[in-house]
Amino acid sequence: MGLLSREAWAQRLGAFRASPSAYMAAPEGEDLGRDLLSDLRSEKLSEQTKVSMLALSLEYPAQLWPDAPTAEAAATSLLDTLVLLPPRPSALRRPLLLAATTALVTGGVLGPTSGASLRLLPLLLGLASGGDLGRGFGPSSEQRPLQATACECLRELESCKPGLLGGCLGLLHGLLGQEGPVAPVQPLSLLLALALRNTLVIQARARASLQGLLTVRASPPGGGPWNWTLAQEGEAHLQPQAPSWPAAEEECGLSALEPSPEEARELRAAVAQLLDTSYLLTPVAQAQLLWLLGWALRGLRGQPPVLFKPQLVRLLGTAQLTLLHAVLALKAAFGEALFTAQDEALLLRRLTLAAQHPALPLPAHLFYLHCLLSFPENCPLGPAGEEAAPLLLEPQLCRGLLPSLLHDPMALLARLHLLCLLCAEDEQKEEKGQAQSPCHYLQELLAGLQQRAALTGGPRALATLCFQASYLVAHCLAGHHTVLAPLTHGLAQLYRARPALAPHFVDLLDQVAPELGEPLRVVLRQEVVSRPGGDEALRWHLQMLAKVADRDAQSATLGFLQAAAAHCTDWGLQQALLRVCRALLRAGVGGGLADLLQALARQLEDPDGRDHARLYYVLLSHLSGPKLGVALGPSLAAPALTSSLVAENQGFATALMVQEAPAPIRLSVGPRRAEGPVPVLQLQVEVLEPVYSLELRFRVEGQLYAPLGAVHVPCLCPGRPARPLLLPLQPRRPAPAQLDIRALYTKSTGLTCYTHLPPLPVKFADLFLPFPKAPEDARLGFFEELWDSCLPKGTESRLWCPLGPQGLEALVSRHLEPFVVVAQPPTSYHIAIRLPPDSKLLLRLEAAQADGVPVVLRTDDWAVLPLVGDYLRGLSAAV
Amino acid sequence: MAQRAVWLISHEPGTPLGGTVRFSRRYPTVEKRAKVFNGTSYVPIPEDGPFLKSLLFELRLLDEDRDFMESRDSCSRINKTSVYGLKVGGEELWPVVAFLKNGIVYACVPLVEQTLSPRPALISISAISQGFELLFGIQDFLYSSQKIDTELNTKLSQLPDLLLQACPFGTLLDANLQNSLDSISFASVTHPQKQPAWKAGAYKGKPQVSISITEKVKSMQYDKQDIADTWQVVGTVTCKCDLEGIMPNVTISLSLPTNGSPLQDILVHPCVTSLDSAILTSSSIDAMDDSAFSGPYKFPFTPPLESFNLCYYTSQVPVPPILGFYQMKEEEVQLKITVNLKLHESVKNNFEFCEAHIPFYNRGPITHVEYKVSFGQLEVFREKSLLIWIIGQKFPKSMEISLSGTVTFGAKSHEKQPFDHICIGGTAYLKLHFRILDYTLTGCYADQHSVQVFASGKPKISTHRKLISSDYYIWNSKAPAPVTYGSLLL
Repeated sequence: MGLLSREAWAQRLGAFRASPSAYMAAPEGEDLGRDLLSDLRSEKLSEQTKVSMLALSLEYPAQLWPDAPTAEAAATSLLDTLVLLPPRPSALRRPLLLAATTALVTGGVLGPTSGASLRLLPLLLGLASGGDLGRGFGPSSEQRPLQATACECLRELESCKPGLLGGCLGLLHGLLGQEGPVAPVQPLSLLLALALRNTLVIQARARASLQGLLTVRASPPGGGPWNWTLAQEGEAHLQPQAPSWPAAEEECGLSALEPSPEEARELRAAVAQLLDTSYLLTPVAQAQLLWLLGWALRGLRGQPPVLFKPQLVRLLGTAQLTLLHAVLALKAAFGEALFTAQDEALLLRRLTLAAQHPALPLPAHLFYLHCLLSFPENCPLGPAGEEAAPLLLEPQLCRGLLPSLLHDPMALLARLHLLCLLCAEDEQKEEKGQAQSPCHYLQELLAGLQQRAALTGGPRALATLCFQASYLVAHCLAGHHTVLAPLTHGLAQLYRARPALAPHFVDLLDQVAPELGEPLRVVLRQEVVSRPGGDEALRWHLQMLAKVADRDAQSATLGFLQAAAAHCTDWGLQQALLRVCRALLRAGVGGGLADLLQALARQLEDPDGRDHARLYYVLLSHLSGPKLGVALGPSLAAPALTSSLVAENQGFATALMVQEAPAPIRLSVGPRRAEGPVPVLQLQVEVLEPVYSLELRFRVEGQLYAPLGAVHVPCLCPGRPARPLLLPLQPRRPAPAQLDIRALYTKSTGLTCYTHLPPLPVKFADLFLPFPKAPEDARLGFFEELWDSCLPKGTESRLWCPLGPQGLEALVSRHLEPFVVVAQPPTSYHIAIRLPPDSKLLLRLEAAQADGVPVVLRTDDWAVLPLVGDYLRGLSAAV
Repeated sequence: MAQRAVWLISHEPGTPLGGTVRFSRRYPTVEKRAKVFNGTSYVPIPEDGPFLKSLLFELRLLDEDRDFMESRDSCSRINKTSVYGLKVGGEELWPVVAFLKNGIVYACVPLVEQTLSPRPALISISAISQGFELLFGIQDFLYSSQKIDTELNTKLSQLPDLLLQACPFGTLLDANLQNSLDSISFASVTHPQKQPAWKAGAYKGKPQVSISITEKVKSMQYDKQDIADTWQVVGTVTCKCDLEGIMPNVTISLSLPTNGSPLQDILVHPCVTSLDSAILTSSSIDAMDDSAFSGPYKFPFTPPLESFNLCYYTSQVPVPPILGFYQMKEEEVQLKITVNLKLHESVKNNFEFCEAHIPFYNRGPITHVEYKVSFGQLEVFREKSLLIWIIGQKFPKSMEISLSGTVTFGAKSHEKQPFDHICIGGTAYLKLHFRILDYTLTGCYADQHSVQVFASGKPKISTHRKLISSDYYIWNSKAPAPVTYGSLLL
């Protein structure tokens, strides 16, 4: 884009300022940064226009030159422009210096590798020290303001890169002490103080000494390269380190620094010099100096804080916010070392005075009041970080700080807080019961606030104020019945006078539930249900009742609702009415409510309302109490919306639908129990969380067994041993199978969950049942009978059953004991197994050898032969 | 100690946005530090549009009487200082220092040099008081001699250049913007001596010192057995010292006549170099006794160029200058009022003006008045529901005057008649407005001969005094009235 006229630039800058992001997103935004830099050198534009262009670059460098290379280029270009200015007075030199500094910092390029940094730093330092730069840099009339500006630029660079000027401490110190035509005191003092503080912190962290930094007068711009060492060490120090409040800086104190006696003397001299000339600084700059020096000296050995003492009386006399704040910072930093108990009392008095002085503005009053309640005491008693009245702040001192109705809302609340703190103390001391006691005054004040909030048509801010005050009182004076009882009563009266404040009451109930919730709920409910149903404020009553209705006083509540139902003519009112019913359902109100819901299901005009009433009725009559509570409770999935329908649907979706969930249940097959008419599987169950109404459903693929019944367990808790569950099996064929298992259960939150558990195997051996025991002497005959009965329908087979090291006896007793009919241990066993539904398996184990036993088997079911083979061969492995 | 951004917003009720950003200034180098210091709790400075919207909402300056909104009206959202958290784009920008004065919202965002969660206490943030001071400074500059709106616009247009001087990088150098303005014009002067930063140059011309003492008296009178009347004097001593030299020293002594009321709660200008401990400790908090320090009150100082407030004080005079009662009773359709005022004999009976304003709130327009005054005349403002009793320059010899009458009101229409949330039912007040020249209630004066000036040439010294009423209320004694804690303690 070519050269722009003054008007075009004004328009362009205006458009940019209106919305920087929108402007930069548009095509014209692209060239703005470049055009700005080139047009700064145009001779056609006035200085005023250029100053406004530079002002823009001071505010939005990141938008104009968004990355490091462009920022570096911009800073270089700005420096070039500065050098090329003709040697006459110009309004551009200051803003150019500021702009170059800003561009370097925001572009993140300040450092030893940046050419622009290496040009700017010596230039600034040269200007700051008032030296001749050899180029006729500007006319002499501009030297002084430029000197100040250069100091400011250096201070900003040091702020953003602590330690940058560590190598120049000696130079700066020397400049400040210079006689004759002198440098401006304020910028130099502030620069020195900041550099000093940063150096001390960096050196203390590095556990290094000051290394004579204060005394070395050599300056880098003399030609030597810039010393970046400290700045690189300091890199980490712009990390959040809570330096704002010296008390918070405990752990990174300067005690690690051990200056030599000479260094300590030098340091003390520098600080004393800064403090002595501090009256030449503007009040805000004095305050900055005090904060910086307070940080710098805190915890530093050999630097007694008495240096500050001569300044204090002067500072305490002023009303300047920054100065008193700085004194408080010193107080926090040095405590008793600088402020005796008497000094502390005086400071408190001045603060108390400033917090109410008629000559000061309200924001200052409020800030002082905050400082009073966060006062850094020498001997704090209460918990840190909580607002409290300092010990030395006697009630007598606070008299002028108590609230009255004539105060601005913010002042009233701030002072009310103080009053509450006093009341809490007052009640601790003794029950005075006098009319003048703070508690009595508090009650009068609350009554006044309630009266104002009750004004029909009054601004909402007044009502809000009353509720804020109530909240504050309930919060600060929890448990103080003498205050809270009248407050509750007063609030009930307020509701009576202005039911339209129902949303405020609901909000208050939410906020003060632990302190005031129950009594307030009771009186408000009484207040509502004692009304006739057809009140014009019905909408508010219903909103209120939805919040306060519960199991108590149900008949009165239901009576009110019945009366109100006739007046609920529009959709909104009906919804409000149903919301109350919902609240009652949740609270577990039963009988009367069912009647009401039935009546509503018939009576309401709106079909939606009728449907809802019917739904609630169905829910009431079908769901148990806890389940209802969950079903109607606020959805956990999403914040409740104002519409009852949406809230409800969400509630149902989560509560009434069965949720699929990862199983908190583990099932396993327990020891076999070979007895009874049918095989029964013993299941061991473990849970990871409480589970209620557990139902386990089993299914077997391919109709091998008859359908299995479900198993029910009322309650299971983790860690509590559960009895084994018995699952009777009805095989249609004697074959192993896989059990497919699903679980349905209710969690302690009331949600019903469904889960698919890992399948369990039913092994062939799980189906074994013994034959009834024959008398001792008839056993052999019984077995032979069975043996013979297998043929010819069945089959006989022989196979080799390998034996483990334990031998045959152990194998039999472990696996086949229940089925042994005739035994001649350790060599011969006759075994008879019943395989449901109606098969049998007979084994003769005789003449065992060391590594195995020959088995002769007979069965009447051909199909089981391979299973038996697998089984027998697996036995030795299973030992 | 720096500010991340500063704004001036004019509050324009009834417009779609509720206000306009008249001035804004951002400090990107400070923002860079904020990003590092605040870490994950960093919230960037929004553009002007969203900031305006969010700030006006938080300050309740958007249309007030809409429905209950939890984000604004919830009882747990309590602000006890002028420092706010603003919801901007789903995050909360904190701390925002902001206050409304004369239709302008002054706002800035101080840098917090640590993480913002948990929020540090305000007292621990050095930039908070600096932010307040910057805003107070801008406010003083805009309204120092502001007469008409065009002048305000001129001053607003000077702000960018001024802040470039007074706050180039977000760290405030001088809250006195006028001083920065002067320093631009004084820039060419060379300085052989150490020059205070709060003094842009040196005065050249006839030496003169002007001291004026303005006392404001406020009072709350109830005429009730169980409630004590209260009154208080607040004094301001303003100086303008036109003296040659860089650092002329001046000492001003304030004196009291015998039986004068001691000065208390003294706050001095930062240019005062030393302070007697008796001045520092004399406080209205303590019970008064005869041993109270009663002067002379010496203030040694090096004056700045401009006119400045050397000190403020309060004082508890033994009696209020005008003691009165106001009785108002509702009798069927009309109000019956009786007022009695008595000037104390010790007070100079020579007013520049003296009026009693009797407003009637939360009622309709005045339709009919019947009255009798023992002195002065009564003006009736029917639409405003206001009576003004013009007492004039002097009380009569008896020092006591009275007014009685009945007032009838028409139907209430909300737009025109004033609403007040204090004056409900019978609660009502009358407010006195008066001014007496060349007089102070405490008796405090600056003796010309006691002014010491250490500078070349003998300056001409002029002194002025005046007493003004301020918040001088007499409450209807026939109904409840708002009381302060002090009134209850007798």
